[in-house]
Amino acid sequence: MVNYLIRRLCLMVPTILGITFMVFMLLALAPGGIGAGLSVAGGQMSDTSKAAQMQAYLEDRYGLNDPVVVQYARWLGRISPVKFGERDLRMPTGDRIAAPRDIAEPPMGWAFALPAKPEVVFTPTLGEGQVDEFKKLQRDAEGARRSYIGAVRFFKDTLADYVREAGAPWISKLEPKGGAEPDKFRDLAIQDSNPKAAALKTAAADMHLKWAKAEETRQRAHIAFRAKPYPESGIGIIPGLVSLDTPDLGVAFSKNRPVWDLIAAALPVTLLINAIAFPISYLIAIPTGILASVRRGGWFDVGSGLAFLSLYSIPTVLAGVFAIGFLANKQYLGLFPVSGLHASGAENYTFLPYFDAAGTWHEGWLLDTLWHIVLPILCLVYTSFAVLSKQTRAAMLENFNADYVRTAKAKGVSRKDVVMQHVFRNSLLPLITMFVGIFPAMLAGSVVIERIFTVPGMGSLILEAIDLRDREIILANTFMIACVNLLALLLADILYAVADPRVSYE
Amino acid sequence: MLSTAPNAAASPARTQPILSVQDLAVSFDNGSGPRVQAVAGVSMTVHPNQTLAVVGESGCGKSVTAMSTMQLIPRPPGRFDRGNILFEGRNVLSLSEREMLSIRGGKIAMIFQEPMTSLNPVYTIGDQIMEAILLHQKVGAEQAWSIAIQAMKDVGIPKAEERMKAYPHQFSGGMRQRVMIAMALACQPTLLLADEPTTALDVTIQAQILELLRELQRSRGMGIMLITHNLGVVAENADVVCVMYAGRVVEYARVFELFDNPLHPYTRGLFNSIPLLTARKHRLTTVEEVVKDAQQFTLPPPGGGGLEVDARLGTLVPWWPEPPAGVKPALAQEGDEYALVQVAPTRWVGCFKTAEVAAHPSPAPDLDYRREDYQSGNA
Repeated sequence: MVNYLIRRLCLMVPTILGITFMVFMLLALAPGGIGAGLSVAGGQMSDTSKAAQMQAYLEDRYGLNDPVVVQYARWLGRISPVKFGERDLRMPTGDRIAAPRDIAEPPMGWAFALPAKPEVVFTPTLGEGQVDEFKKLQRDAEGARRSYIGAVRFFKDTLADYVREAGAPWISKLEPKGGAEPDKFRDLAIQDSNPKAAALKTAAADMHLKWAKAEETRQRAHIAFRAKPYPESGIGIIPGLVSLDTPDLGVAFSKNRPVWDLIAAALPVTLLINAIAFPISYLIAIPTGILASVRRGGWFDVGSGLAFLSLYSIPTVLAGVFAIGFLANKQYLGLFPVSGLHASGAENYTFLPYFDAAGTWHEGWLLDTLWHIVLPILCLVYTSFAVLSKQTRAAMLENFNADYVRTAKAKGVSRKDVVMQHVFRNSLLPLITMFVGIFPAMLAGSVVIERIFTVPGMGSLILEAIDLRDREIILANTFMIACVNLLALLLADILYAVADPRVSYE
Repeated sequence: MLSTAPNAAASPARTQPILSVQDLAVSFDNGSGPRVQAVAGVSMTVHPNQTLAVVGESGCGKSVTAMSTMQLIPRPPGRFDRGNILFEGRNVLSLSEREMLSIRGGKIAMIFQEPMTSLNPVYTIGDQIMEAILLHQKVGAEQAWSIAIQAMKDVGIPKAEERMKAYPHQFSGGMRQRVMIAMALACQPTLLLADEPTTALDVTIQAQILELLRELQRSRGMGIMLITHNLGVVAENADVVCVMYAGRVVEYARVFELFDNPLHPYTRGLFNSIPLLTARKHRLTTVEEVVKDAQQFTLPPPGGGGLEVDARLGTLVPWWPEPPAGVKPALAQEGDEYALVQVAPTRWVGCFKTAEVAAHPSPAPDLDYRREDYQSGNA
């Protein structure tokens, strides 16, 4: 059994790699690519505009200018609990700080001689003031890097202008959209006669200047980083090479917040709703299924089947709208709140309800929250009865005519015990398969219901992330759901062995 | 007239029957069609220490009769149309479900054809045997455990203590059938219904299981209703044989008398279809060939030493649902076309109910006889 578990856990690694790779590639294939969420809105933009430089900077910052496979490998490195290279620092807030990344040299070194790479010698402050100094150096480095990336972009645009003036054969090497990729123009000798030559030289000089500045500040920041203004994150295995750390889910492009924070805010909401909804569905559907199978063909069987299938046939969207329109609308019943998770001002409520001295009722935070999630839970639950109870009924009926049930009856076992101890016990396997499905579902949340009732859960989060093409959130979600799904399947296999002694993993 | 001769003349009744099925008729709802008459007026008795073999092809009503004894017929679709089943003097058909619970597994036990599937796969053997014990005996779990172990030892399961904790799938077919028997007999029932207990087993295991049943019967004085379609099993184990066809008893006799001299064409057909080592036959005669032959529809003298021969024997025509042309006699006006007629003190044959038969009803079959009686010359 232990061997089997270890083997299964090991097999999960390639499965998760496959799942995340597929999702990553799908995102890359989507119109606009992985960085579509970062595209600066506004339709027509001039290539030399600030917007283009801003986008170039963001692409550099999130590594979007690398090939997709490289980006995936980098994402994997962040997710992996085994880290290679320099360890991150961890701020007291829990956020990570990675070592400053290297800066690419300016393009077209063959045409415009590079200035010497600055070699910074710098002793960082230790003790008091170290953190402030590090923060400042970090800011400086980021600012210098940003202006360098902008200068590179400007240089490329100027190069494109130059090439257009130079004519054939160079002009055919421009990108379809008109940009210039410096590596394609290795054979291009700069002609001073070209009206854009002066501008190109100025752009190159500016670029070199900014590179030197960016490189210098980066080195400073790196030295300060190595002095460890914050403690190191994780556990080192081989110093400077291999360490163990918790997976880093990254920073959401669209909100500029760590993905983990977003999930930590949304997950409890979804868990709360599902933790109430799932027991309700199971506690109603399974006993109904059992009773329906015992009274097969009777009015209860037919009636419950009809009722559940009718419910199942109502689209959630419609039911949600009706629920809001009739149950929540003040013009009708107005029993429940229309949307959200808390009343305004709920953060000031006490946890439990109470009567104050004047005899006024205060509902408290708990009741208020429960009151808000009644309609979402209702909509989540009503479709789930049909499948569950029909599955239970089918599994029971399959066993009712089994020979061992006849044996049990011949032994004098009462009808109730025959049903529960012999038939139901043997019907558990298909129910286990369905049961473990709730774990990934709990995590994923219901997109439709959360949207209709404006519940800020996981469903809303992922929907918003897809809207904004926020790669980090989508990937983090996929990764978590994939992990939980695989663990749930493993749990199912373990439960099979518990429920049926014939199943053995030795 | 033999039909009025007391049964006691041939074999003095030493015991009261444990089970007496009297004119039982069971039918099932067939959805849209007419009700299916699975059992149409069956009578038989089982005495202590006696094995009654019920023989017949699939669907002839053997199992339904046995299941009725335990009220295990699902109702609906099943229905008891008429008749009684007296078990130790009480009519089980009139007992409530609660009263039946104490009889099932306690007084009457049943073992089934498929030992592979008749045990619950998710419980240990020990749990399943103890379940029966705890249901019917006022004992604690520990005592039930030791009773179960004793029951396992009685049926010859080695290492009983260890095996108690094993699951059914860890046993071979023969061992599972032993477990079934141990479970059935753990509560010391007075009647055992064995529904084709050896059909699914290979021949050597069959012999072991039947031998085991015989031993346990002798040591406990238990009555056994052995349902089978294997005539070899009947010849080896039965005391009294009840041949059934289409929900009716076609012949009822002591085992050796039946084998020596089958009276009903169907019984003869059954025996003709058995290959014999001594006889060289190009092909076997089928039952169909026999029952389609009008010649077969005259009853031969029952034979046997010192038996009176019914004077009516010549006028009796064996009952068959679709007899060959010209065989069917004029029937009595009212009621069923079938009647079980006592043609000799120890022999009953299903006959067409002519006016003559209807006028002299025969007593229900009841033979207090065991094969040892024959061997010791008592019969």
